[in-house]
Amino acid sequence: MTTKRVEVPQGWEAFAWKWMRYSGVLIFILAWIHVLIQDILVGVYQIDTSYVATRWSGGFWRVYDFLLLFFAFSHGMNGVRQVLADYIHSAGGRRALNWILLILWAIVVVVGTIAIFAFTPPAG
Amino acid sequence: MSFKTASEGYVKYQGLGNWAFVLHRLTGLGVILFLIIHVLDTAAVYFKPDLYVDAVSLYRSPVFGLGEILLVLSIIYHGLNGLRVIYFDMINPDMWTIEINRKSVIWTWIITLVLWLPAAVVMGSHILEHLGG
Ligand code: HEM
Repeated sequence: MTTKRVEVPQGWEAFAWKWMRYSGVLIFILAWIHVLIQDILVGVYQIDTSYVATRWSGGFWRVYDFLLLFFAFSHGMNGVRQVLADYIHSAGGRRALNWILLILWAIVVVVGTIAIFAFTPPAG
Repeated sequence: MSFKTASEGYVKYQGLGNWAFVLHRLTGLGVILFLIIHVLDTAAVYFKPDLYVDAVSLYRSPVFGLGEILLVLSIIYHGLNGLRVIYFDMINPDMWTIEINRKSVIWTWIITLVLWLPAAVVMGSHILEHLGG
């Protein structure tokens, strides 16, 4: 393996490169705690609507889940963009890719965020 | 600002470091695929509560249980390897040498397994407890 120092123009792609790294550190904390609690300690057999109602009864876990959603999803979708850009070489194709992923990203983040903050426990 | 990069295209074989990169890519794609589904099914708890109940019961099937164990493996590996890459890239780029890269990849795999095995045992025993009902 050879390494060399290269000068990189400070544009959007350099920002995206750094974004993957800063968000990675943050998600490392948020996602691992999430997985430890939900998948390992609590487990899917105990998760149901009333569990969600308890968990989202206060603000803390709502904000936590929103931050996890926002950062993990932005990181992951930008990752998908990087991977696909390795296979799409035309400028037009990449521009289309960026828009499609941006729209998909926005839809899922908005839907998830509405659910997190608008949820109220069902009566009864 | 200057960046030092280890990768000159993953098609070119570079030994263990290349495998680390390919696995990082596959696990990242696997996790984001799951995350899209997971955000939407969890959002159903607000938008369409009946659908949420169905989704959760699907997640309780043994096949999804095994998938969940692999998902946890993916997140542990991708996270640890990600931190390794971040440390090399942002803090100590001089560590991008064949020898150090090799050793750190092997350590990443060891730590991944050490963390994953107990998690897999706990999750596997949950699946077994709920088999057949
Ligand atoms: C647990 C903490 C995580 C850390 C520390 C982390 C770190 C990283 C880093 C540093 C990269 C860039 C690799 C490169 O440029 O070669 C990356 C790429 C990526 N990550 Fe993560 N990540 C984490 C969680 C996640 C999650 C939760 C997802 C999915 C939602 C995800 C999906 C991806 C994808 C799809 C890529 C692109 C892979 C590629 O370009 O080959 N990551 N991650």
